[in-house]
Amino acid sequence: MTIKRVRRWATAGAGFALALSLAACGGNVGGGGSDDAKFPGKSPITILVGQDPGGSTDLIARALADKVSNDLGVPVTVENKPGANGGLAAKELAGKKADGHTLMVYNGSLAYITPLAVAAGQAPDMADYDIVTGISQDDYVMVTAAKSGFKTVDDLAKAGRPITFGTTGVGTGSQLSQELLFRQANIPAKAVPFKGGSPTLTAVLGGQVDVGSVQLGEAIEQVKAGKLTPIVTFAEKRPTYLPDTPTAVEAGHDVPVQQSRAIFAPKGTPKEVIDALRASFQKAFQADAYKKFNEDNLLTPNEVDGEELRKQWTANLDKYRAVVQKYNIQLGEAK
Amino acid sequence: MDFAPVLHGFGVVLEPTNLLYCLIGVVIGMLIGVLPGLGPAATIAILLPVTFGIEPVTAVIMLAGIFYGAQYGGTITSVLLRLPGEASSVVTVFDGHAMARQGRAGTALGIAAIGSFVGGTVSIIALTLVAPLVAGFALDFGPPEYTALALLGILLVATISSGGRLKAVIAACVGLLLATVGQDGFTGAERFTFDNLSLADGLDFVPIAMGLFGLGEILYNLEERHRAAQAPVAVANVWPSRADLRQSSGAIGRGSLVGFVLGILPGGGATLSSLAAYALEKRRAKHPERFGKGAVEGVAAPETANNAAATSSFIPLLTLGIPANATMAVIFGALLIQGVTPGPQLVEQDPDLFWGVVNSMYIGNILLLIMSIPLVGLFVKILKVRATILAPVTVLITLIGVYTVRNSVFDIGLVIVFGALGYLMKKLGFDPGPLVLAFVLGSLLEESLRRSLLIFDGDATGFFTRPISGTLFVAFLLVALLPPLRTALRRRRPAAVPSETATQDKELV
Repeated sequence: MTIKRVRRWATAGAGFALALSLAACGGNVGGGGSDDAKFPGKSPITILVGQDPGGSTDLIARALADKVSNDLGVPVTVENKPGANGGLAAKELAGKKADGHTLMVYNGSLAYITPLAVAAGQAPDMADYDIVTGISQDDYVMVTAAKSGFKTVDDLAKAGRPITFGTTGVGTGSQLSQELLFRQANIPAKAVPFKGGSPTLTAVLGGQVDVGSVQLGEAIEQVKAGKLTPIVTFAEKRPTYLPDTPTAVEAGHDVPVQQSRAIFAPKGTPKEVIDALRASFQKAFQADAYKKFNEDNLLTPNEVDGEELRKQWTANLDKYRAVVQKYNIQLGEAK
Repeated sequence: MDFAPVLHGFGVVLEPTNLLYCLIGVVIGMLIGVLPGLGPAATIAILLPVTFGIEPVTAVIMLAGIFYGAQYGGTITSVLLRLPGEASSVVTVFDGHAMARQGRAGTALGIAAIGSFVGGTVSIIALTLVAPLVAGFALDFGPPEYTALALLGILLVATISSGGRLKAVIAACVGLLLATVGQDGFTGAERFTFDNLSLADGLDFVPIAMGLFGLGEILYNLEERHRAAQAPVAVANVWPSRADLRQSSGAIGRGSLVGFVLGILPGGGATLSSLAAYALEKRRAKHPERFGKGAVEGVAAPETANNAAATSSFIPLLTLGIPANATMAVIFGALLIQGVTPGPQLVEQDPDLFWGVVNSMYIGNILLLIMSIPLVGLFVKILKVRATILAPVTVLITLIGVYTVRNSVFDIGLVIVFGALGYLMKKLGFDPGPLVLAFVLGSLLEESLRRSLLIFDGDATGFFTRPISGTLFVAFLLVALLPPLRTALRRRRPAAVPSETATQDKELV
């Protein structure tokens, strides 16, 4: 219910965003130079989102935009530029002035999984951006239809036939997590990609595929209703929202895969601007309404600074590249 | 069946905002129904961005109102000016205008309004009962079933579409090709993207629909600048006499049924069903020679059928996520913009949306019945607005509108390109409908087919061993093979073919 309500606000907000940014452009004419004095001056801030309105990335951006706007005293608008798994928005960000007035909610999968799936040079490089702050992490859970009878990874191994697994697309954490699990557990399995979490779940529920890996928030209602059985989560430790389901690590397989999100800025943004922005986001993270938002959407905070986040994500990229090579996994056409 | 969500749906409709948008929708629908050229698909496409800021239920209630409202509006000009406002009202011209010249314009409009109301209502009731049944086994619809449905849909659109079968097939093939642009969802390979990031996720449906239907239609209409302004026939005695009602009651009943069934079929819809209902009445009539000279059944049947079909074509969209015709394809796009994916889960997961939209049609039809008669004079006046005013305004709205959907300048370029294509297609006698529908179904077809083959391990016989997909494939083969078979049979016994079928075919085309 919460997601739905937030989504309504989100779509309504999208309409306002245009109006606001137009109005802001008008107000900006002729006042260019005076902004440099102290960030943020009077110019508004735009946060790019590389996903459709209403998705979890979009909701996070909007939940934060309001609070940062109140703190900095300038309008903060969210602009959706969906396409290429967020690559379109990332490319636009790279071309913007590095003054802190254009930011982006950057998805971890774009930084550390997509490069393994597409040809070299097609995915944006994390090194081309400055990082303001980490935001939160989303866990993947592998589910099966309750009527399938599977409950553990061992059940899948004993099925005596190849397992079909639904993924939310090529180059996603959903695909990587399951590829790794089945390869390590030596279970013959075949990926069937769908477009996003909802169609994947429908296929799992209908028994079209045996299992599927989706983000926790997407599956939790059906799990609680008893229609889906969670088999493992791909979190590092058991998420508080699903305390009885083992992690893949506990089940003996080294495959922590998480979706992670962060605020990116164009490369070359002055340090004091980054610091001012980070301070403002920190305040937003502390708001009760935002904490409740995280709980409602089963998000685990990961509010680290830019340096720490870059370390996390670079480590992920290296780790995933190594395991993908080790197990000879083909995520896409990349060699 | 559980009626609680159905009743709750009425609660949703009766919210003031939703009522207001329902009213706005049906008024716009009637308006564009009156204007020849601008059809419901074009209008909905142009208004897509407007729906962006409102709630999904409200948006679809309004868009649906435009669709069935247009069926009412199209009648008015057919009867009064001999100028069909909509393709689905073309046959109404024959008897409707004849009646008007006999001084019975009011009767014709009255019968059409009553017929539309009955047809619409019958169809909504059937929709209420049938849709949850379909949705009930919707989870059994896996990739193979969607493959079969998409194939069947594209085939039916290509075979039944107006404007020649070959041209429709060509348009559909272009649509299928356009659907292949973008990243391959299975390997990550880029197809026809020319290293342009804007093309990486493929062409977006909204600019294509807005270009082909919106801009294309406007450009095409500009050619008919000097339309002779005809004095409309005066309207008197709106309520049909009891004798008229008795005479047309059978036609209204049959029209409802024909419309409902043809509306569900992919490729069917309002236009086809109005033609079929008219043909059926003429065939059944004791004195078929009365048709074309002011037979009241000749107005009642097609007007009932087109409204019934407009309603029932929501069934495949809302339960399976498969648009049955071009207008439904545009509404499909509207739902996607709103973050709602129409499909098997919709009735269960979003009962507010589903029943809100279905039940809004009752209200909308009542509003239309009340409004259609007193507002006739006003709507006819709209025809006097010059194209030099109307066209630029519409173009401007279209271009700004498409930008607001994704904040993308690239999409504005796309609208212009597809607007030019749409204009050329209309000029050369191609219906853009099959192209748009094939484009929507194209990616569904490709993905479902490849998904199925992954699941079947490459064994294509799997399509025939699953009950639902097997049945659908048999239907597909029947539709594909029937026309050539019939021609072959006809050729074998040329003398035996009665001339009646030949004339019948000619009328339908």
